Amino acid sequence: MSTEVETGTHRTEKTSLTKIKDAVYQFLSKEKVLGALTIGPAIILYIIVSLVPIGWAFAASFHEVGAFSPTWEFVGLDNYFAVIDDPKFIKSNFTGAVFAGGSVLVQVIFGVGFALVLNKEFKYNRIVRAIGLTPYLIPTVIVGFLALWMSNQQWGVINRLLLDAGMIEHGIAWFSRPDTVMPALVLTNSWKFSIFVTIMVLARLQGIPEGFYEAASMAGATPFQKFRDITLPNIKNILFIVVLLRGVWMFNKFDIIWSLTRGGPAGATTTVPVYAYNQAFQSYSLGRASAVSVLLFLLLVVAAILYFRVFKPSEEVRVE
Amino acid sequence: MKENSNMTDTDAPRWIGNLSYQTRDKVRRFGLFLILAIMAAVIVFPLYWMIHTSLLPADRMYNVDAPLIPLNPTLSNYVELFTKTGFITYLVNSIIMGTGVIVTTTVMATLGGYGLTRIDIPYKTAFARGILLGYMFPPILLAIPMYIFWRQIGLLNSYPGAILAITATSLPFSLWLMWQFFQTVPESLEESAQMAGAERFRAFYEIALPLAKPGIIAVGTFSYAVAWNAYTIPKVVLPQQEFWVLTLGVENLVISNQILWPLVMAASAITILPALLFVYTLQKYLLRGFRTGGVK
Repeated sequence: MSTEVETGTHRTEKTSLTKIKDAVYQFLSKEKVLGALTIGPAIILYIIVSLVPIGWAFAASFHEVGAFSPTWEFVGLDNYFAVIDDPKFIKSNFTGAVFAGGSVLVQVIFGVGFALVLNKEFKYNRIVRAIGLTPYLIPTVIVGFLALWMSNQQWGVINRLLLDAGMIEHGIAWFSRPDTVMPALVLTNSWKFSIFVTIMVLARLQGIPEGFYEAASMAGATPFQKFRDITLPNIKNILFIVVLLRGVWMFNKFDIIWSLTRGGPAGATTTVPVYAYNQAFQSYSLGRASAVSVLLFLLLVVAAILYFRVFKPSEEVRVE
Repeated sequence: MKENSNMTDTDAPRWIGNLSYQTRDKVRRFGLFLILAIMAAVIVFPLYWMIHTSLLPADRMYNVDAPLIPLNPTLSNYVELFTKTGFITYLVNSIIMGTGVIVTTTVMATLGGYGLTRIDIPYKTAFARGILLGYMFPPILLAIPMYIFWRQIGLLNSYPGAILAITATSLPFSLWLMWQFFQTVPESLEESAQMAGAERFRAFYEIALPLAKPGIIAVGTFSYAVAWNAYTIPKVVLPQQEFWVLTLGVENLVISNQILWPLVMAASAITILPALLFVYTLQKYLLRGFRTGGVK
């Protein structure tokens, strides 16, 4: 079939090699073969790297898993009871909620503000966007170490600038004091992640017809009224998704916290993932760590159900 | 410049009404400029400070009166980094694993995205939800069971083990992106090629694939960012130092040399260099991907 096309333009000898190629192409073109070879690998890989580990966590959560040897001993629900009875676990949930809530709040404020500014047309839009996008591409732990250095009690630039401005009298060890560590952590975290709120909200803002605002101006609406009656209703859904997804992800955030505070001082920043990591690799209780992972997974499923109520996958991709 | 919507303005005080339209416009533009300048400074200053510190001689770092502009800048920290620490090993490991993740993710997502768009299979809604659920998995949730599982099948401390593990965080979203992307590639082109006698595979290979190039670049960029950023999963599945990637290596420098911040900042600066080079050239590809639901 394809040889007809080829011979039309340039004469090719039908060598054995092209015959094999033709046969292979024809075999690959069968609907079922093409389907299996394109979707198959991705689905298999997805099962191996995502679903199998989750299944493994389920299985391990009912066992006492050997710390240094792969021995499993069935213990029923003991791991779950041990975790739920642990006051440290209960506390880690509250700490995590504070961290996630604070992070989402700060990110939404800065993210939406930045989106509203970027939605205006101005000359250097592209450069400003590139600058805004830069923090995302910097590894989170590097962001953490940079914050640690800049906030260093004796030599950090932040303390020095604050001292020069006369706002503080002594350098503050921001990440080692129970009263300053959480705000410092939330701000550092938001420095990197606010841009996502911006990108998602901006995409939505650009879909609002300009005519809406013009009509409102004609009718004598104040800027605040325009924001309340046009902008806000249009970004409501995306804001819900932002708050939900970012809330879940921030609750599950591990790298920035571990690199900055290791969950300290005195457990002040031990969120659930830090607790799970400690169970697994400090106490070597892999069974309990798996139980915590399963609990986190269940939370994720609840969030996913809420997510699919607002964000309909079938409207984004054709499923028929 | 077109005067368009006034969404950022709050309810204006009364006295503004007394100003002329031009003056108000100028004030507004100046305000916009000021906000942008502050935002840019908040983002750029820490990066400037990273480079600044990395150029300081180690003994100058204690000088509290050191100016904001480095005096006697030196590259000695960079020289020390490459000659006296394991930095090169970490850099090479990051490149190997990053390449592995980018290639695996891009190939799988491109093929899968094509198949999901063009081939009739049942339960596509379930697939879509499954992919999005997988995209929500945080690294720590996968890392702990992976440690147990990888240990049992002997994949701890290996390149393939780490590449597979990191792919778990990049694949679902990439697959989703390519599924969306192939929908924007007109099917009629492939159909007419098939009419002209090309087999279906040739239509995919020679027509759909080249047209999907922007999507493929977007997925490649995204998986680079995921792989280069990865910390939690490598930390758990690569306990041996000889396999460490940059994020783990820099952490080790912080732990062992916290007193030598210029050295740590030099290592950080090199780690973020590709990001700084990428962000301007690949911006539009990167932005394309982030509209579904943000990124972890």
